[in-house]
Amino acid sequence: MQLISEAQLSAIDKTAQRILERVGVKILDPDVRDRLHAAGNPLDTAKGVVRFDPSWLEDHLARAPSRFILYGRNRRHDLEMGSGRVYFGNGGRVFQIHEMTESRVRPTLLKDVAHTAALVDALDHIRFYIIACQAYDLAPAHYHLNDFYQSFGHTTKHVMGGVDTLKGMRQMVALAAAIAGGPQALRDRPFVSVMANPISPLTLDAETLRIMAFGAQNGIPLAVAPAPIAGATAPASLAGTLAQLHAETLAGVALVQFMTPGAPVMYGAVASTMDLRGMDLAMGSVESAMINTACVALARRYHLPIYATAGLSDAKITDIQAGFEKGVSNLLLGRAGADFIHLAAGMLDSGNAIAYEQYVIDNELLGMIERILRGIEVNEKTLGFDTIAQVGPGGNYILADHTVDHMLSEFFYPRLAVREQFDRWVDLGRPTPLTKAKALVDQHLKEPPFRLDPDTVDRLRKQFPQIVDP
Amino acid sequence: MTIDLNPLSEAVIKGNIQAATQETQKALDGGGDPQTILDQGLIAAMDIVGQRFAAGAMFVPQMLRSAKTMQACVALLKPAFQAGTVSSKGTVVMGTVKADLHDIGKNLVAMMLEGAGFTIIDMGVDVLPEAFVQTVSEKSPEILGMSALLSTTMPAMKATIDALKDAGLRDKVKVMIGGAPVTAKFAGEIGADRYAPDAGSAVAAAKELLQTS
Repeated sequence: MQLISEAQLSAIDKTAQRILERVGVKILDPDVRDRLHAAGNPLDTAKGVVRFDPSWLEDHLARAPSRFILYGRNRRHDLEMGSGRVYFGNGGRVFQIHEMTESRVRPTLLKDVAHTAALVDALDHIRFYIIACQAYDLAPAHYHLNDFYQSFGHTTKHVMGGVDTLKGMRQMVALAAAIAGGPQALRDRPFVSVMANPISPLTLDAETLRIMAFGAQNGIPLAVAPAPIAGATAPASLAGTLAQLHAETLAGVALVQFMTPGAPVMYGAVASTMDLRGMDLAMGSVESAMINTACVALARRYHLPIYATAGLSDAKITDIQAGFEKGVSNLLLGRAGADFIHLAAGMLDSGNAIAYEQYVIDNELLGMIERILRGIEVNEKTLGFDTIAQVGPGGNYILADHTVDHMLSEFFYPRLAVREQFDRWVDLGRPTPLTKAKALVDQHLKEPPFRLDPDTVDRLRKQFPQIVDP
Repeated sequence: MTIDLNPLSEAVIKGNIQAATQETQKALDGGGDPQTILDQGLIAAMDIVGQRFAAGAMFVPQMLRSAKTMQACVALLKPAFQAGTVSSKGTVVMGTVKADLHDIGKNLVAMMLEGAGFTIIDMGVDVLPEAFVQTVSEKSPEILGMSALLSTTMPAMKATIDALKDAGLRDKVKVMIGGAPVTAKFAGEIGADRYAPDAGSAVAAAKELLQTS
């Protein structure tokens, strides 16, 4: 069953175009504003609002590539955007962490960037790393040099991050180029990308635009991802929030193409809802999942790979609520065929917190969903007529060759779910997914490998003496 | 003569600005005492709104609409009062801190405080520490309220408090902070007077800081 029909999508798309043509977007950089105006888009100088000419918009959206690769530093981690494949990853940039063994919450530090990168590196179903948290122990001057250094240092998967300033963006690109072996090598295989997000409703910050322009010029893939909250920064109706988000994203994508035609950019969607009973952000709401799912189809209308959202929960701790909220949204977004699903691992507390154990738990959920997406293989061998005939009525398949041939490929083997018989489970000390996850976190973080070789580390440390240790 | 203030109260509870302002004008034209209209028509209605909200029977948008309705009615009453007889609970200067453009939380708090009788000076978004200091110096508010949504802009709160200290104004104003990443602990660390987790508690905290009700 489709969540949304073609006719409904078309109505949303038309409304978004009307929003861009008649309401417009507030652009806080006067220079970009003037250039857009010079290109034929009406400008309200007093309000700083640009309204978009429909043909200008169409031309610029058509320039955006429908396929590109988000590279890993290891080729087996390359992510093929626009290929139909679904990749789940974690999300950022929280400010606190639950330490379950200590039963406390504390502000996140640089070591948490390193540890979460190491966890993502070790966990198979988390396919990319987004810099997970704020590092409160880092001074602002060389902040992004250091949070990206720790990320590259602990995973060879694709790294994505948010940058606060153009200066920070320059630091990151210089570091990545030095690791790649020069700016051209980075351009050839950009293993890092950046999000540059509009502010809902319908606003683009000046520094965000500068970061966007610099990224596009330097071949760094971008995600343009507004985060409207239905009932607060977007209409309380799901369709209205979709129309506004779609308008915000299309404006951002067109702007990237205006700055650098052909620059790789993802259609971003980070929708949520507000619980209007008490004005509590509800990122794990079922409607958030529905809006984010519908966005996959909106992105596809424009042949744009999507930076989608799933796996958030408003649960404060790793509990039943976290399980069902994450399960619903990850499954919906995965089934919708979203290219790049972020926030899908590690998150708690409406996107405000992470827990190491949650990465391991979510990895298992994502493994289950990847298994679903792989589908049911039907062919001569899997139909198994010969083995059914051989075993015959009343036998069993435990010793059949067919069983051994298929048991590894057909089943997903969870590491956390408890399947032991009851008495055996009691003997084992009544393990739960959480106790098992804690043990796995300890194992993964005991001595996580450093993913830059010693020569590179020496070179980088000389070139960037401001690199610090966590 | 007695004037029936029930329709006014009902209109405030429903958040019907047009009906409420009409009822207020009718009551004034009919010779009603402004203080009685305020106490028995408006404040009594807001008490009911507060009770219903606390019981979960009203949601935040409805409560805010009632608050806005009350403000419109109070504006009509003001000229009828002798100068100085309706006094503000206090003045609050508010803004989101340097580099933070997210203002919905700040706007909610401003509306709630205004509904509760405070005078608001809203400085908008991306307010530099020195701008806060200048306004505090010029307007002498009782409270300075700062908001941040991003963990990366939170340090600007401390910078503003430090700037108040440098200007010799820290003792002259109470500082309240809020925003998604802000915590009571952080408020303590940077030397703010109060942290409030949401708009409702911000009103209670402001009243407590100024020891009014």
